[in-house]
Amino acid sequence: MRIVRPGGLSNAAIARLFTLPGQVVSLLVLVMPLLVALYMSFTDWSPTHGSLFDASFVSFENYSELLVWDTRFTYAVVRTLLISIVCLCLEFTFGLGLAVLFLRKFRGKSLLFSAFLTPMMILPVVVGYIFWMLFQSNGPINQILEFLFGPQAALEWFRSAPTAIFAVILTEVWHWTPLFFLILLSGLNSIPENPIRAAIILGASPRQVFWRVVMPMLKPVITVAFVIRAMEIIKLFDEVFMLTRGGPGSSTETISLYIYKLAFNDFQLAYGAAAAFLVLLGSLMLVHLLLAPVRDQLLEGNR
Amino acid sequence: MSTCKLELVSLAKEYADGNVIAVDGINLQVEAGETIALLGSSGCGKSTTLNMIVGLETPSSGDILVDGTSIVGLPAGKRDVGLVFQDYAVFTSMSVRKNLAFGLEVRGKGRAEVDRAVAEVAELLGMSDRLDARAKDLGGSELQRVAIGRTLVTKPSILLLDEPLSNLETAARMAMRNELRRLQSEIGLTIIYVTHDQVEAFSLADRIAVMDAGKILHVEKSAVICDKPSHTFVAGFLGFPPMNLLRGRFEGAGNAAGFNNGAFTLPVPETPALPKGICTMGIRPQALHLAPEGGAAMTGTVVLLEPRGPESVLTVNIGPTKLKALVPSDVRLSEGQKVGLNLDYETVLFFDSEKNRSMDFQLNAGRCA
Repeated sequence: MRIVRPGGLSNAAIARLFTLPGQVVSLLVLVMPLLVALYMSFTDWSPTHGSLFDASFVSFENYSELLVWDTRFTYAVVRTLLISIVCLCLEFTFGLGLAVLFLRKFRGKSLLFSAFLTPMMILPVVVGYIFWMLFQSNGPINQILEFLFGPQAALEWFRSAPTAIFAVILTEVWHWTPLFFLILLSGLNSIPENPIRAAIILGASPRQVFWRVVMPMLKPVITVAFVIRAMEIIKLFDEVFMLTRGGPGSSTETISLYIYKLAFNDFQLAYGAAAAFLVLLGSLMLVHLLLAPVRDQLLEGNR
Repeated sequence: MSTCKLELVSLAKEYADGNVIAVDGINLQVEAGETIALLGSSGCGKSTTLNMIVGLETPSSGDILVDGTSIVGLPAGKRDVGLVFQDYAVFTSMSVRKNLAFGLEVRGKGRAEVDRAVAEVAELLGMSDRLDARAKDLGGSELQRVAIGRTLVTKPSILLLDEPLSNLETAARMAMRNELRRLQSEIGLTIIYVTHDQVEAFSLADRIAVMDAGKILHVEKSAVICDKPSHTFVAGFLGFPPMNLLRGRFEGAGNAAGFNNGAFTLPVPETPALPKGICTMGIRPQALHLAPEGGAAMTGTVVLLEPRGPESVLTVNIGPTKLKALVPSDVRLSEGQKVGLNLDYETVLFFDSEKNRSMDFQLNAGRCA
């Protein structure tokens, strides 16, 4: 029923009125900056050259520069994607393994559970700093290597591209495996018991039960975990910034790091904005692709 | 017995270090090709019994024999026993075909053999045209059929059904009941059927085992168990409505004998050797008849008259005691009205007061005023 108030406003109109402050705030802090950045990406503005409105409009020049001529950008994109894929695969594998282990009962389970979740709660900058310390040429990791394999086993971790990338991946995997572990564990726990029992009675081995019955039911959860982590890891910045600053050369430079350098080292804010918009488009498409196979399953809900 | 397909020998299951006894030493023999229903209210241990037979739970003590050999040591899946779950537990991520094929595929059977078996079972269940449907798009009775078919494909020698019809609506339930009966006669399976629904038990099972508090109280042919229950629990559980149970003792003798249950004394016909001491009298609702208030064995006030198709269930208060009687549906009675009741004395059963077991005693037929 539509209740009309003395003031002449219906319930729905009042409700809309109450959402107004929220809409104004989101307009100011979300939509406006985004639009300003979008406009900026079509100009040649730099903070050292006066106001944004005085800057000349260059249409798609920034974008074509990025996509066609800027190989450093292309490399950063490819590098970020490769690091992401490797990290996500490792994090998923370890997370799933741990989650399956945690389905059993053992002593000290709750203590280990808290311990395994701790990395996730540490600030990325702090994680980066910790691993930067660990990988120093006279740091603990080299000391252990020297102890195990003799003095020539020590490595200059941040001086060569492969070891630097390895350090980045290791840090990232250590930091974010717990998230996969947590999501997959709750997914495993929410799987109904009877299909598993039915499979056992039908003669399936534990391996067959896992791959044929459990994994298909876990698929939506796995996808969601991947999507969440993919969105995060594409923005990979803090750890790399602390560990290598993109070096040696630009061998560990991720997209975020490159955009950061463009904007705050070279003051090419317009160019950086264009790069950021390309990344935004790319990650939107990526997430969309990742979600495609389970979209129906997620939207349908449990029946 | 050597023809036993399945035998449970003082099978028991305890939880929490013996503090909770789910199944308390049950003995049961099931013959090949027989359908037996485990009937009991929820929490009486019937599902635990099924789980032990199928191998999902290990018995605390006792033995399970199939064809005379113990299967307790065998893992689930190697026991040649199939179980259909109450919630069907169909693999929703697979198609119907994949569901049906699952049992054979995990055993590493060849493609041709699997296809043939699946086609056979789909034919049997009338699902040949639905093989490629996704399991999550199926309705209740179709899920049910997939669940049964998935088990039948592996050709188990014993099929266990855990309340398979309770999630279905009435029409589907009737159809499925017929289907199960047909399957059973076509394949000659040994079926053990767990249910809390008497109608289901009576309509499907050759024999009924009534369970309560982890014990099997009575195993009997379903045609007989209602009329000759051997335990007061069974008497008070089976039937629509169940038997009236009156606790009391015989007083007097000969012509003046009567059964005193504290509230009133029911005169009984002259019968030799009346049992001494307290016992329980079981009167079937069918054995009670309306009579004119004057010459009736009992008189009471009408509490409730529930029409039930061709008959009505009449509840009468005699003092604090409630009696239920079946009366023709054309009887018109109003609440609070006084009525007289007579009974067929020869059908009355007696149970001893200590073990609640039936006693070998019958009243003579007759009328007494």
